Amino acid sequence: MSTGEENSGWNLTESDPGVFTELLKSLGVPMVFDDLYSLDPPTLAAHQPLHALIFLFKWTSDSPDPTSGGTYDSDFPGFFAHQVVNNACATLAVLNALGNIPSLKSGQPLGELFNFTQGMDPQTRGMVVTSADWLRECHNSLTPPSAISLDGIGLSKTSEDAYHFIVYLPFMGCVYELDGLKASPVRHSAYEEKGEGWAGKAREVIESRISTYPPGSLEFSLLALHDDPLPALREQLVVAQTTGDQPLVAQQMQKISDENVKRERWAFENALRRHNHMGLMHALLKLLAKTNKLDAAKEGAKTRMTERREKAKAKGEAMDEE
Amino acid sequence: MDYTNTQRFILAFKAGRALRRDGTDSVDPKPEKGAIILYDGEDDLLHFVWKDRTTGNVGEDLIMFEGDASFTQVPNAPGGRTYVLKFQSSDQRHFFWMQDASSERDADFVRNLNGRLQDPTFSLTWNTEVTLAAPSSTSGPSRPVQQATAEQVETLRRLLSSYRAGGTAAATAPPEYSLTDILTPANITPLFTSHPELVPTLFPHLPPDLPNPPNAETITQIIASPQFRSAVSNLDQALRTGLLGGFVRSLGLPEEAGTSVEAFLKAIQDQAASEDSMQTD
Repeated sequence: MSTGEENSGWNLTESDPGVFTELLKSLGVPMVFDDLYSLDPPTLAAHQPLHALIFLFKWTSDSPDPTSGGTYDSDFPGFFAHQVVNNACATLAVLNALGNIPSLKSGQPLGELFNFTQGMDPQTRGMVVTSADWLRECHNSLTPPSAISLDGIGLSKTSEDAYHFIVYLPFMGCVYELDGLKASPVRHSAYEEKGEGWAGKAREVIESRISTYPPGSLEFSLLALHDDPLPALREQLVVAQTTGDQPLVAQQMQKISDENVKRERWAFENALRRHNHMGLMHALLKLLAKTNKLDAAKEGAKTRMTERREKAKAKGEAMDEE
Repeated sequence: MDYTNTQRFILAFKAGRALRRDGTDSVDPKPEKGAIILYDGEDDLLHFVWKDRTTGNVGEDLIMFEGDASFTQVPNAPGGRTYVLKFQSSDQRHFFWMQDASSERDADFVRNLNGRLQDPTFSLTWNTEVTLAAPSSTSGPSRPVQQATAEQVETLRRLLSSYRAGGTAAATAPPEYSLTDILTPANITPLFTSHPELVPTLFPHLPPDLPNPPNAETITQIIASPQFRSAVSNLDQALRTGLLGGFVRSLGLPEEAGTSVEAFLKAIQDQAASEDSMQTD
């Protein structure tokens, strides 16, 4: 597990679109991340205009990451920063995506960061990014506060292992792959604007990459970075209402409702992530005690533990590391 | 924390742990076969360790400061082989019972343990003929040469080799139960139905920025959430290190409550009972 010093005060974040979208909000960027469960044409179409794709993965074999095709472009004129702090990998990938979107309207201080780092080499950019206190605070605001100070006790953290992030985006007519752990961006083939545009080409590149991993060794997800759909949906709803197109009205209202349900779920989960649960745990245990249910709960817990051990023993594994 | 390096090892003897029965002066011995081991750590601190001889897991790893701790016999304990490790600097009490079949060497072990706890330059002495001889890491005049039996050397070797070096001061004995199986929707949600008046008392402990005003259903969702379950798991692990004495005071609990999950729950029982009794008219 990484030590605090190695990670310079950056907490490990969950790789969840709700977390990433909240990060965008705190950066003043009016965009949204969504999970993509497939790269098929209807799914891609539903997220157009698509600004970037983030492929996040961890692989379980010991072999190094297979090469991804394409050619290194050390003259890449866009924004590309190296990952210099492991725990900052998520925010770094987001910046590598945002920094190359021409239409991005970013508030300060993000815009300032992009201006300031123009012309810098990737390593220096990476260091500047990770030493930006305001950015680190945005990033850390979505990790659970330490309910208990456990410095030096050496407890293993229960947060997820670090995923590796790769950004795919269009730049000057080609699909580019930005990997903060590689020396430079990788340029894949050119794409045509018509039809699916760059997303179709990106699909090919990503699918080809996935196929190079031994089956079952790869755990991954895909995030799509796109404009916040709500304003457009609301506009379309107004148009549909004006023209009296009932089916369209119903459809738009459903989409808006689905989007809001999702946002509410994200807001709920983010509230839980930011919260120190110690008070609640204490209050609940007292509740069990006051209602005379604590002893029974304890006995039940003992039974569960024994059952688990029996099961594990039956499977031939050891419960605890030796 | 590698005490397989025998130069740092001071003494060891078979002992089990015992827990004080609340509100009484008696202790209940726990059956696990264990050992008390005293050694000089690489951190230059004196470590008092209790280890489970069957699993190899460390149940206690305490730092001893010169003159602070003493290991004394518990009076009136049946069998007369129950001891307590107590401290001048705190109210901590750890109870142990001698597990060597013969009590012949009890006096030696206890005298040497106390001697070393009081004074780092104390030279161990062994009055009985055959003992586990401590190696010559202590300064001072040479001790009487003792011969260990093959059995004792084997015991010593086993004790040393199965210690989990590189571990932390965490109590790593396999737990009897976990808080994650106590704070579950299955245990808690029925209380909301049977005691609905208690639900609002939980609201102050919920996140202040929830998207909707909370109700009993919200609380159940929170308890089932990965974020809450992770917090419970962290608390469980932290309590098992036995090092939360300072922290639990902020919850209005005695320091003892931070030494184990069991102690924590007992203290909460007490706290709940006293809060209830304060409400009677």
